[in-house]
Amino acid sequence: MFLDLGVGNLAEPVSGRAWSQSEIARQVARRVARFTRCGLSRGDRVFLPFGNSLEFFAELLAIWKLGACAVPIDSRLTAFEIRTLVSAALPRLAVVDHLTEAAVAEALADAGVPVVETTQAGDEEATAGFSQLDDDALILFTSGSTGAPKGVVHTHRSLRARWMGLRDHLGVAPFARTLCLLPTHFGHGLICNCLFPWLSGMDLFVTPPFRPEIIIRLGQMIDDHRITFLSSVPAVWKLATRLSKPPQAGTLQRVHCGSAPLSAHAWEEIRAWTGTRQVCNSYGITETGSWVAGLGNADCAAEDGLIGAGWGAIIKVLHTADTTRPLVPEDECLPGESGFVWLNTPALMKGYFQRDDLTALAVRDGWFLTGDIGFLDEHGRLVLRGRERDEINRGGMKIYPSDVDTVVERFEGASDVCTFALDDEVYGQAVGMAVVLTNSESATIQALHSWMRSQLAEHKMPMRWWLVDEIPRTSRGKINRDAVKAACAGLTPLDLAHVLAGEMSG
Amino acid sequence: MSGDSEQRLQDLIVYLRTIQKPNKPIESVGVHDNLFASGLLDSLAIVQIVLYLEKTYGIDISAGGFDPERLSTMASIVDLIDKANP
Repeated sequence: MFLDLGVGNLAEPVSGRAWSQSEIARQVARRVARFTRCGLSRGDRVFLPFGNSLEFFAELLAIWKLGACAVPIDSRLTAFEIRTLVSAALPRLAVVDHLTEAAVAEALADAGVPVVETTQAGDEEATAGFSQLDDDALILFTSGSTGAPKGVVHTHRSLRARWMGLRDHLGVAPFARTLCLLPTHFGHGLICNCLFPWLSGMDLFVTPPFRPEIIIRLGQMIDDHRITFLSSVPAVWKLATRLSKPPQAGTLQRVHCGSAPLSAHAWEEIRAWTGTRQVCNSYGITETGSWVAGLGNADCAAEDGLIGAGWGAIIKVLHTADTTRPLVPEDECLPGESGFVWLNTPALMKGYFQRDDLTALAVRDGWFLTGDIGFLDEHGRLVLRGRERDEINRGGMKIYPSDVDTVVERFEGASDVCTFALDDEVYGQAVGMAVVLTNSESATIQALHSWMRSQLAEHKMPMRWWLVDEIPRTSRGKINRDAVKAACAGLTPLDLAHVLAGEMSG
Repeated sequence: MSGDSEQRLQDLIVYLRTIQKPNKPIESVGVHDNLFASGLLDSLAIVQIVLYLEKTYGIDISAGGFDPERLSTMASIVDLIDKANP
């Protein structure tokens, strides 16, 4: 368990493929041999622009057995974004699968990164030594794909602290047959939904992420595979609870919902659909190894924003968000009093990859400033009330406004820009953009759109555009994104669809 | 298409404009073309269409056993509305 990487079985319910523990061992040994032939050694980084497959997990274990570091990448990134990450992380190698976009593989090759196909592992098998606790294990890039990348570095020590914290609070029995519908390139899906159960020896069932055709058969899939646990995000539950027949076999023992705010109403809908009261609003942050707090026994009244207690973490709510001075007891809020949420956990990341400046802004004496606003109730349970972060949370997937701004700023016809969150009924938030152009001719707008498409993954493209005369700034020259959003709320957005079709309206 | 159906189609187009990607006008997609294959809607936008039908027409999609094909084109969505509101 954990330390010897004794894993459970793996299965893909959609394709019907499955690997037993012995087959996994063989597949990992082949990849260890292949990586060794490729010259991979301790401390090297390997990009994985694919996931949610049997092979992904075999690659991960092989990388770790050689003391190297895995860097799962969202395969939807553009060639430009891939090149940005490559120049920051300097991977020794990249592994792709048949679903990896050709443009991504080409961008990697063009950047001088050797690319291997995951199924081409060869027949030779090899063993390797053991990774060391303080070796880098994972880097998860959370922003900066268009500028200065921000990568969360977890060592084996911090990951194991996360998993052991979860085991202490939740046990492993409810995770005996775990289903993952989430992408494996972000913390919630990979570290907690997949690796915690699987590296505890539990069986893992993994599907392609966010596919409606899979989600509408979710109830049947849970029954067919006697699933005991799964996690997801509110947008997926909205689809499942409305369109999929509920599971009938009563196998679910525990269900999590995370990565985005969960209302009490949605919470009860999930309980009714899943047939278990053990539905938990799990609080996860990539920097703390994802799930860091929640309800051990979730059979309680659903409340908007209710999280629960720390899982292998101490939670403090403080008046201050200042990481430049020591924290003192006088900073603590009283029960019921809202403030900034700080976390102290041995599962905290090692830091942001080669960005000590960013680490210093987020961590003070081992305490992590989450950017969330909340309070501790009279039972000591965390209740979230809002966020102070810039990020746009689109159905659990985070988009950073600065990533979009950086691209627009490089377009010569744009003199200023501000990207912000729009309210969205299903995803929670969507991307909006106010932009100042040197002229508002259709050709300029079309050229900007084309430029952005070439630089940004599609899910980061703003849904609504506003052409404005100026972007309001504070007296210190900073953009207040909420103020820009409020200003745009009273204006008519650009009819971009018609501009792009060459039919400038109005 | 009856007058009611035509009005429902126009209402649907107005709604789809609020959730579509801005790559091209929704009117450029034929009423029998697959909305999701058109690239104008991402796959999870099907939830938004379901919520629109629930709120605007009181249609409970899950009641009849869900077939995603029924929500894949504007024509099939209007047909579904017409059958629920004869």
